[in-house]
Amino acid sequence: MPRLSLGARLALLFAACTAVVSLLAGILFSRASEAHFIELDQQLLDSRLPVLQRLVEGVDGPATLASRLPELQAELAHQTDLALRLRGNDGRIWFDSRADLPHSTSAPGLTTLHGEHSAWRGLVVQQPALQLTLFLDITHHQHFLQRMQHLIWLTVGLSALATALLGIWAARSGLRPLRQMGEIAASVSARSLTTRLPAQQMPVELAELAATVNAMLERLDDAFQRLSAFSADIAHELRTPLSNLLTHTQVTLTRPRSLDEYREALHGNLEELQWMAQMVNDMLYLAKADHGLLMPSREPLALHGEVDALLEYYGALAEDAGIALQREGQATLDGDRHMLRRALSNLLDNALRFTPAGGEIKVGINQRGGDIRLEVANRGEPIEAAQLPRLFDRFYRADPARRAGSSEHAGLGLAITQSIVRAHGGTIRAESAAGWTRFIVELPAA
Amino acid sequence: MKLLIVEDQAKTGQYLRQGLSEAGFSSELANDGETGQFMALTGDYDLLILDVMLPGRDGWQILRAVREAGQNVPVLFLTARDAIEDRVHGLELGADDYLVKPFAFSELLARVRTLLRRGSAPAQETTLGVADLRLDLIRRRVERAGQRLDLTAKEFALLELLLRRQGEVLPKSLIASQVWDMNFDSDTNVIEVAIRRLRLKIDDAHENKLIHTVRGMGYVLEERPN
Repeated sequence: MPRLSLGARLALLFAACTAVVSLLAGILFSRASEAHFIELDQQLLDSRLPVLQRLVEGVDGPATLASRLPELQAELAHQTDLALRLRGNDGRIWFDSRADLPHSTSAPGLTTLHGEHSAWRGLVVQQPALQLTLFLDITHHQHFLQRMQHLIWLTVGLSALATALLGIWAARSGLRPLRQMGEIAASVSARSLTTRLPAQQMPVELAELAATVNAMLERLDDAFQRLSAFSADIAHELRTPLSNLLTHTQVTLTRPRSLDEYREALHGNLEELQWMAQMVNDMLYLAKADHGLLMPSREPLALHGEVDALLEYYGALAEDAGIALQREGQATLDGDRHMLRRALSNLLDNALRFTPAGGEIKVGINQRGGDIRLEVANRGEPIEAAQLPRLFDRFYRADPARRAGSSEHAGLGLAITQSIVRAHGGTIRAESAAGWTRFIVELPAA
Repeated sequence: MKLLIVEDQAKTGQYLRQGLSEAGFSSELANDGETGQFMALTGDYDLLILDVMLPGRDGWQILRAVREAGQNVPVLFLTARDAIEDRVHGLELGADDYLVKPFAFSELLARVRTLLRRGSAPAQETTLGVADLRLDLIRRRVERAGQRLDLTAKEFALLELLLRRQGEVLPKSLIASQVWDMNFDSDTNVIEVAIRRLRLKIDDAHENKLIHTVRGMGYVLEERPN
């Protein structure tokens, strides 16, 4: 059934059910009445039989029969729907009380026989010299049964039609909440993602669907908010260096300057431009991650080896800042070396940025079966619980007053780390407790 | 050394040409794919710099034509797209390297030099040096003015890189990649600190400074007249 409406589907199903039920009832009723008729006929024939049996007693041929005929016909005349056939044991018919009697069998018992325009019940009884068949005209019974059959078919048809119509109405009113849901869903646009379906008022069957749709709207709304904020952030982040560049360049050009001044101006511009290029590259990387294009290669890696390489890389910088770096534990996994190094480097970079002089940064690695847990912990200012998940948002800075000086990063590092971890099928979260800030990465080993 | 730049963005092409010329490479510029392919096939170039997106024929088609003509000239791709398929496609076709826009000119220059050097036989030096600085690759020893200097392994590797490519401005990203195998743009001061430490050992005690900072570009090791 291609693309039938729910209403039509339900109406058809209702109609089919009613038709089947009324048909069965009709058939049962007609069977029962036929059986009842047969029983009545049997009784009637049985009650007539003894008289007639007595009348043909002693008859042994057409000759002896002739003398009994007047008496027989007189008896039969009492009841016009009765007829009699006498057949000799040789199979020849000696006597038919009527001319239109149907052909009958010789097996004893009750049978139903059909003539040209009539129907008969025949009772065959074996006498010593002849076979006596008593006929009862049941044409009117048959007519009655036929009429009843017509009536049954009519009832089946009409009731099916009626329930189909009722079904359409019932389906319509039953599906009204669904239509309402559709109307609300249709009214949802990018501007009104806050619309929700009234799940509490929905019928039980639809409540779950409504809740699912609401959850979907929630996610859409969230993603849309993020996206809007992201676009706004991009514009905002680019606005500052762009206006710096414009101002700086225009001011430089307002009057002739010494070579050194021009060089200085170009250097200033270069720094802004490099910062912008870095940000654009980072954003492209994140966009790739968003489109599922970040496909890590899988090579067996010793995670502790990678961490050690990074600690060596950052070693001198940390030493200058008076920060101790250390690593504990080890693990092996299949992953993309360059991507993981980039992810871990952002974590270490972040930790170095927020660890006060004389502090320490600990990298702990733990492998339990197929699960790897890597933790980058540093002593630092506590972070409010509500801020923790937001650390991975693009352009998020814990301190809004801090901006991108030329050497300051754009606030995309942790977002990139999160993308890389997710591309490896892992998760990342931040915790802040007892003076320690921890970034916890959980990765599958393969 | 003669280079061909195929780039449809007029400004980009012009700046690249100017920059490469000033770095000592004579270069020619084609502004569309058809011209670019014709020039690549008929001229005798040491390196091709191809933009991927070009009117007429794209960079890949030119690369294919060049390789089919049996030319083994190194090819550096410039692409505005950073899709993995692009890289795979380019490298399958026989590109030697690629740079994603926006890139820094110093990075391009470093890659160009690497590609051009690839053709020539690697020098089998056992010692590297400039002015009174000597680096012994076999004994892993460094001397300045006859004084032995004590360098860590990474400092040694950094100095070796600077010496091998003396006179070239090396961007921070290239140093991070060659010395520490960190192949991503990190915006930390790691390289700055490493250079400062190396300077402390190499240059601080001497009048004649050898390691120079080129602001906004990178670092260069060379002897400069005072």
